Amino acid sequence: MSRLTYFAKRIALMVPVLVFGTSLTYIILYAGPINPAVAIAGANAPADQIRAIEQQLGLTKPLWAQYIDFMINMFTFDLGQSWVISPNTDVSAVIAQRFPRTVWLGFWAILIPLFIGIPLGFYAGLNPNSWGDYAASLGGIVWRAAPNFWLAVILLLGLSNSEQYLFGFNWKTFIVDTPQLIGAPPLNNLTNPTEFLKALKRILPASFVLGSASLGNELRIGRTAMLETKNSNYVEMARAKGVSDRLLVWKHMFRNALIPLVPVITAEATILLGGSLIVEEVFSINGIGRLFYQAIINGDIPLAAALAFIFVLLLVIINIMQDFLYTVLDPRVSFEE
Amino acid sequence: MSQELTQEDEGIVTRLRANPRPALIWLLGALALVAVEFGALVHLVTSTLPWTGTIELPTLLSRELIPNAGYQLPSGAWEETFLGLAPAYAWALRVGLVFAYAFAWLAWLWYGYLTFRRHYRFANWTPTDDRIDRLRDHRWGQFGFIVVVVFVVLAMFAPALGPTTLDKNIINPYGHEVQYFDEDVGEVTTASVGTANLASQSTGTPGQNYGLGSYDEYDRFHPLGTITNGKDMFTEMVYGARVSLFIGLFAMGLACTIAMALALVSAYYKGITDLIIVVTSDGFASLPFLLILIMLGQVLRSTWIANLYNGAFLIALLLGIFRWPSLWRTVRGPAFQTVENEWVDAARSYGQTPITLMRKHVAPYVVSYLLIYASLGLGGVIIVASALSYLGLGVTAPTPEWGRLVALGQQYVPTASWHISIIPGLAIVLVVTGFNALGDGIRDALDPESESESGGGEAAAAGGGA
Repeated sequence: MSRLTYFAKRIALMVPVLVFGTSLTYIILYAGPINPAVAIAGANAPADQIRAIEQQLGLTKPLWAQYIDFMINMFTFDLGQSWVISPNTDVSAVIAQRFPRTVWLGFWAILIPLFIGIPLGFYAGLNPNSWGDYAASLGGIVWRAAPNFWLAVILLLGLSNSEQYLFGFNWKTFIVDTPQLIGAPPLNNLTNPTEFLKALKRILPASFVLGSASLGNELRIGRTAMLETKNSNYVEMARAKGVSDRLLVWKHMFRNALIPLVPVITAEATILLGGSLIVEEVFSINGIGRLFYQAIINGDIPLAAALAFIFVLLLVIINIMQDFLYTVLDPRVSFEE
Repeated sequence: MSQELTQEDEGIVTRLRANPRPALIWLLGALALVAVEFGALVHLVTSTLPWTGTIELPTLLSRELIPNAGYQLPSGAWEETFLGLAPAYAWALRVGLVFAYAFAWLAWLWYGYLTFRRHYRFANWTPTDDRIDRLRDHRWGQFGFIVVVVFVVLAMFAPALGPTTLDKNIINPYGHEVQYFDEDVGEVTTASVGTANLASQSTGTPGQNYGLGSYDEYDRFHPLGTITNGKDMFTEMVYGARVSLFIGLFAMGLACTIAMALALVSAYYKGITDLIIVVTSDGFASLPFLLILIMLGQVLRSTWIANLYNGAFLIALLLGIFRWPSLWRTVRGPAFQTVENEWVDAARSYGQTPITLMRKHVAPYVVSYLLIYASLGLGGVIIVASALSYLGLGVTAPTPEWGRLVALGQQYVPTASWHISIIPGLAIVLVVTGFNALGDGIRDALDPESESESGGGEAAAAGGGA
């Protein structure tokens, strides 16, 4: 099977997943025990107001017709209007306003662990059973076991009083002045270096917390992968032929040790999307994770349904990207069958 | 050869009759251990049987026999506590005895296994011996085992371990009274627990804080201090351990059952059945599961199912339903391999029904994989459950939950009342690490070759990203 057909097959397989996720969202929110109209208007709302909302949402139609309407609307990105969070605004506008913040958060949450976890893991794998290995491995295990919300609480404490805990190092005035620790990062002017740094600094703690689970995993898998690659025949062979240590590590071991890491990195996608909700809530970043949480809590059913669809879509896209990355790194994948 | 065969045929009863002494010693140990808690056992049995009244017998490890609640006279002497000890010592003694008791049971089980192995087992060696021997050298796994045992004991003996009770401290503080020596009046007076709680809140300032191992104005001892509403934190922690353990075990048990059933079905029928399950599993696995969980939790909020065990049951149920795909993927391969064996074909040709066949000839070979991944995944379940109650969505108040304690003390972390948030967090980290370590240990014991295996297992061991 060529790389292209393999890839096309993967994309085709994602369609049922998308339909399944969207249907599940519909069933939970519209066919479940709550009446969306009552949830929107409140339990004490007059009957005619509820009926008006029902009319407007199309809840008077039979369930199967509603379901088909819902699916068509979602897949054509006709996401409807928000009712509670920002009344009578298009859901797409609300999401578009908040989406960049979540992307900014998620981007760094993937990147930071990569640049901490993998080097540490490779270091531990190259020096197995040394003190450095023990420290890194134990750190990774404990880090992975710590709940995000708790890490966030601790990190906020540490950074808000950094000069007290970190020997005079003041995080707030470090490089650029960011007096506020939490809240949405300013993303208007990312091409300006100072503004970019400010936006980066504001998101760093949150991204660090969000990526913490991946960091621990990448460290562990990186260590095992490097250890295995190190002991494999072709590396022994290259060493016997007199390849220098530096070249051996960078040319022969690095890329092969990366392969088992790819599914780990992208398997975190689910975790990142779910976790963004908690991290955004703790750091009060008005991204779509927090928006979803507020929509659910306040009974803004159309907004919540649209966001759930977006999340499923994002996950599916990330999964496809994972497959793509995998085929690029390890060409054998596409020929398996 | 023929003699050995008959010896095996004799069965364990004959071997017991031939050499009853070690078994009797072992049985005597059990009797001694039961005798200590006989009162509690009678209480448990009689309270579940409707036609008998609840019979209360004195129990050695109860708070009634070793009370730690008392008051201090101006002379410094303690009244009402065990042997007039200070409450801290009385409480520590009780906790020590409970843990000694629990570990005595463990030692008894271990002794029983060794006795069986030495005196009554027909075979000199079984593969299980090697597995257990591997665990005996596995320090990391043993660390996990100890942590898990401590956690389980905290949950099981919660009523005896807390310095005060759930009912007194959390559910109905105004229905109970506390005795203390009032210095203004100069005599012993009483106040309701609720009033005492109000006066012993930990709210950040050094003047209004009851930290680790402190006594409050009403002479009550707080091993881990009090929380923001003055309730005893250690009591909250032990009952929180109970809730977490229930959620973890129930969710993982449910997920394992589903995963096992589906793995057997797809291995036995293959083809289209397998494909359907693959697609369903992919569908479940690629959903943003925390969001669905929150959505379902919120939607089902007003239904009867959300009221069972104050929401803990619903959370456990949903977690179980959403955890099966990862487990299923790990047992599907082994199930497929096992079905290929000749003995399965043989059993089928003898006309055994598919259900018996799968239960007797396939399931036993797959169950060890489930055990590994279940213990690795349990930590993640505990984290997600605590994250939900941190957000105020999971287990509802007043049922104690560690995640809610973190949320409660969050704003006081930089102050004197740091313990409210920090200690439950550390407890979660420790317990989750413990379950991961135990899972690693079990994996290395069952399947020493698989150490390098990556992917599914590692992701299962992850904290769940909450």
